[in-house]
Amino acid sequence: MTPLSVVRSVPGMTTETVVRLDGVRKEFGETAALDGVSLEIRRGEAVAVMGPSGCGKSTLLNMVAGLDRPTAGEVTVHGERLDLMNETGLALFRRHHLGMIFQFFNLLDDLSALDNVALAAQLTGSSAATARRRALELFDELGIAGRRDVYPAALSGGERQRVAVARALMNRPALLLADEPTGALDSRAGEQVMDLLIDLNQIGQTLLIVTHDERLAHRCASRLVELADGRIARESALDRV
Amino acid sequence: MSAVWAAAKAAIRRRRLQTFVIGLVALFCTATVVVSLALLDAMSAPFDRALAQQRGAHAVAAFDPAKVTDAQLTAARDGVEAAAGPFGQVMFEVGGGSGPVMRGPLTLVGRPGPGGDVDRLDLWRGRWASAPGEVVLNAPPEDETSFARGPFSRIPSLTADGTTLTVVGWAFSVGGSADGWVTPEQMTELRPTGTQMLYRFAGDVSTREAVQQRLTGVTTGLPGGALIAAQPYQVVKEEAAEGSGVYLPFLGTFGVLGLIIAVIIVGNVVSGAVISGFRHIGMLKALGFTPRQVVAVYLTMVTVPATAGAILGTVLGDLGARPLLEDTFRGMGFGQDTGVPAWVWAAGLVGIPALVLLTALVPASRAHRLSAAEAISAGSAPRRGHGLRVQRALGGTRLPRSVSLGLGHLFARPARTALTMASLLLGVTTVTFATGLSDTLIRFSALDAAAGGDVSIRPEPPDGPTGVTSSRTDDEVEALLRGLPGTERIGVALGRPVSALGQSEPIQVNFVRGDVAAMGYEDQLLEGRWMAAPDEMVATSELLNKRGLEVGDTITMELQGVRTTVTVVGETLQNLPGPGDGLFAPWREFEDAEPFDYFYQVDLTEGTDREAYMQAIRSADPGLSPWSRGGSNELQVIVTGFSSVLAVLLATVAALGVLNTVALNVLDRRRDLGMLKSIGMTPRQVITMLVTSMAALGVAGGLLGIPFGMVAHRLVVPLSAGAAKVTLPESVLRVWDPLQLALLVLSGVLIAVVGALLPARSAARLTIARVLHNE
Ligand SMILES: Nc1ncnc2c1ncn2[C@@H]1O[C@H](COP(=O)(O)OP(=O)(O)OP(=O)(O)O)[C@@H](O)[C@H]1O
Ligand SMILES: [Mg+2]
Repeated sequence: MTPLSVVRSVPGMTTETVVRLDGVRKEFGETAALDGVSLEIRRGEAVAVMGPSGCGKSTLLNMVAGLDRPTAGEVTVHGERLDLMNETGLALFRRHHLGMIFQFFNLLDDLSALDNVALAAQLTGSSAATARRRALELFDELGIAGRRDVYPAALSGGERQRVAVARALMNRPALLLADEPTGALDSRAGEQVMDLLIDLNQIGQTLLIVTHDERLAHRCASRLVELADGRIARESALDRV
Repeated sequence: MSAVWAAAKAAIRRRRLQTFVIGLVALFCTATVVVSLALLDAMSAPFDRALAQQRGAHAVAAFDPAKVTDAQLTAARDGVEAAAGPFGQVMFEVGGGSGPVMRGPLTLVGRPGPGGDVDRLDLWRGRWASAPGEVVLNAPPEDETSFARGPFSRIPSLTADGTTLTVVGWAFSVGGSADGWVTPEQMTELRPTGTQMLYRFAGDVSTREAVQQRLTGVTTGLPGGALIAAQPYQVVKEEAAEGSGVYLPFLGTFGVLGLIIAVIIVGNVVSGAVISGFRHIGMLKALGFTPRQVVAVYLTMVTVPATAGAILGTVLGDLGARPLLEDTFRGMGFGQDTGVPAWVWAAGLVGIPALVLLTALVPASRAHRLSAAEAISAGSAPRRGHGLRVQRALGGTRLPRSVSLGLGHLFARPARTALTMASLLLGVTTVTFATGLSDTLIRFSALDAAAGGDVSIRPEPPDGPTGVTSSRTDDEVEALLRGLPGTERIGVALGRPVSALGQSEPIQVNFVRGDVAAMGYEDQLLEGRWMAAPDEMVATSELLNKRGLEVGDTITMELQGVRTTVTVVGETLQNLPGPGDGLFAPWREFEDAEPFDYFYQVDLTEGTDREAYMQAIRSADPGLSPWSRGGSNELQVIVTGFSSVLAVLLATVAALGVLNTVALNVLDRRRDLGMLKSIGMTPRQVITMLVTSMAALGVAGGLLGIPFGMVAHRLVVPLSAGAAKVTLPESVLRVWDPLQLALLVLSGVLIAVVGALLPARSAARLTIARVLHNE
């Protein structure tokens, strides 16, 4: 353990806690997108965040992903204080501990599906061969092995999202973040992605999912957090369907 | 229309960097174009412009006062647009004594003032003659220091036939209407032998014949034989061209180069802007914009910043060109003509925006034809399988992934890469050519300046202004000079007219001894070698051309009463100062040579003060008249300055072109960059990725651009010199050495890296949250 990570690790937090937000506030000019949000996510949980458009869901996710910094409050993920890190530190943290999937997939157009996925491992220093091997395993597991040499432009939406999931899982992240993962998919492709997320959670993957989709929340999540105007309006445990 | 304006405004706001770069490129290109055009315009006819500005005479005529009256002359105005005179005129036989200038007969004219309808003199120093005994002399303007150092300041007065005239001022007549001017009263006292009339004619005066014809028109009504002599302005014009002609083609090349580069870069930048907007175009179409409206949005988007840049650039170019032109043409002896003409302004203000519009039209009309779906996918769908294979191969290498991604991107978007490459290539070619040209120019003017020495000395003739003559023989003078501290080299020359077989006029030969060869004249050899035997000579190009001779030819001469055949073994650029045809011969003694026929030229050791040195000569022997050359050094500074300014401008424009292309790349890949950052690419890696790919292009651009630039230099420079009938010594063309070439490759990389760094850094700082969740 490097001295720096000793400083950053928060005493008293069990390793069971993957995410802890403490009084997180985020302002954009006059408006507060998040207004004192405190939230804890334990290992193995699948948490869904819902709420009306503009209530701060994506902002919350960005805080947890270290894509943006809070105006006030503490963000602790995997034992590290993200609000205290610099850009480079955040990048290295994301690289090793987080996986993200987005509504619009965000694949690189000029890399094949396999290379898009391998890329994530190559950034951590894996050799090209090792990275491709690991990517292939994931392709097999996700049922898209046949599409490995295809370029994103030629993939269907569902396939693209599965490639994106594969990429997010490459470095065995402690936490998988998803922002509207089914938002751009039809119901069939959406179902497939949901099944995938459920399977992942079942084998222990911690999930934080932002969505508008009731079905997605109820099928995949064990807990529901409802946001309104930047505050947590309600928290409830869910019985998965 | 308002929808178009709204969309264009939004696009401008969204792409601030690109808008800024288009504006900046337009600014620099316009400035370059204005400077180049002003230069070309001024160069195309520096003499004519100066003449026109002074309303100089088309013909300077001298009439016989015994045959024609002033009233008759005033009345004869056939075809005359404007006239000045009649002025009394006399030949004033100055015995000499004033160093190298103002010896022999001078044409003095009695004139009440420097103004008038014709030949408005530039009274650049002192005042006009207001009383008898005063004279104003004709010379091109010089600044304070050159004047103080030069020969003119050694002329306090002129004396001839018992009349002494005090020099009270210096004026310049571009048309060379006289050597000096006195008051009309003084002229009456001097008993004028001629009457001067200065004419400007209406209609065509482009040739000597035309001027002659107009003059005949004026004089037909006058008594026969009234016109003694007439000088059309072309005579002076040709003389003037000889002095400065050498530099004009070089500067002209810069001007043309500036124009071409500006046009290409603008085209590159603008078409890049439109191509990168294809995805955006698709969305506009999907929104319901008609193809025509889409084109309008794009044209508005690039024209607004281009126009703003062009306005600023024109002002900037004008401000920059003014002092440069002023110095240049003053240095060349054309007075202070400066203006940047209106058409250049118009070209800057209208030309560049129009050019932008035109170049934008080409890719914009492609956007016009694209369907919405095609346009949207043009931004994302990969088209070249080849490029993708390279990308994959690179992914498997041991290179850091950020580096290999950046390199792979070059191949995945070949069109964009070609565009970037073109601007880099252009940049490096330009920098290579421009530095080569400016180097050649600097060497050439150094060569020019080196010859001639630091201080020139001539013994005073008996009727000189001081009346003191030297009693030393030429050997004694040389010994004296050698003994002075600060003397590094001495050349001694004796100018003698020598009659040659087959030549109607005698040739003025400079018999030289001492260090003449080493004082820059040998470096100026264009062909052959310096003379090594008593029967060898070296001639200037001018003399060879005039007399129809070549290196290797022989001349039979009457030397000291003996018929001698000498061989021309070399051709040089420049003659010694003073009269003479430009033939250098090995030293010979002539019994009948007067002391003031000898001419001494001294190179001083580094750091010796010229003033003090000349003072030392004067106090050692008041019969010696030393002077130091001014002027030409100034010209060298100007030429160097001009070429450096243009080279820097061109390099800047080239770098901006690259900056723009890279900025576009970054803009185009915002989402990709955001994604890469989201999966853990550090800001440093983002910069590395963008900069290494551009640096790689820079190396390629450098390696390709340099040979292009060198070849262009080799072809264009001698060509443009040839156009002015100047042969260049090989030494001024061999300007590159390996170190310099390495520096040039580095310049390619540097242009690319600097161009990439700014947008790369802003990309690294990009807040990725938004880009990733939207669109
Ligand atoms: N970068 C930003 N600059 C300014 N305001 C922002 C920014 N990002 C978010 N906001 C504002 O913060 C509030 C919350 O935004 P956020 O994107 O988190 O909403 P959301 O809950 O994800 O909405 P949706 O369901 O539509 O995706 C909104 O009012 C939004 O306008
Ligand atoms: Mg959102």
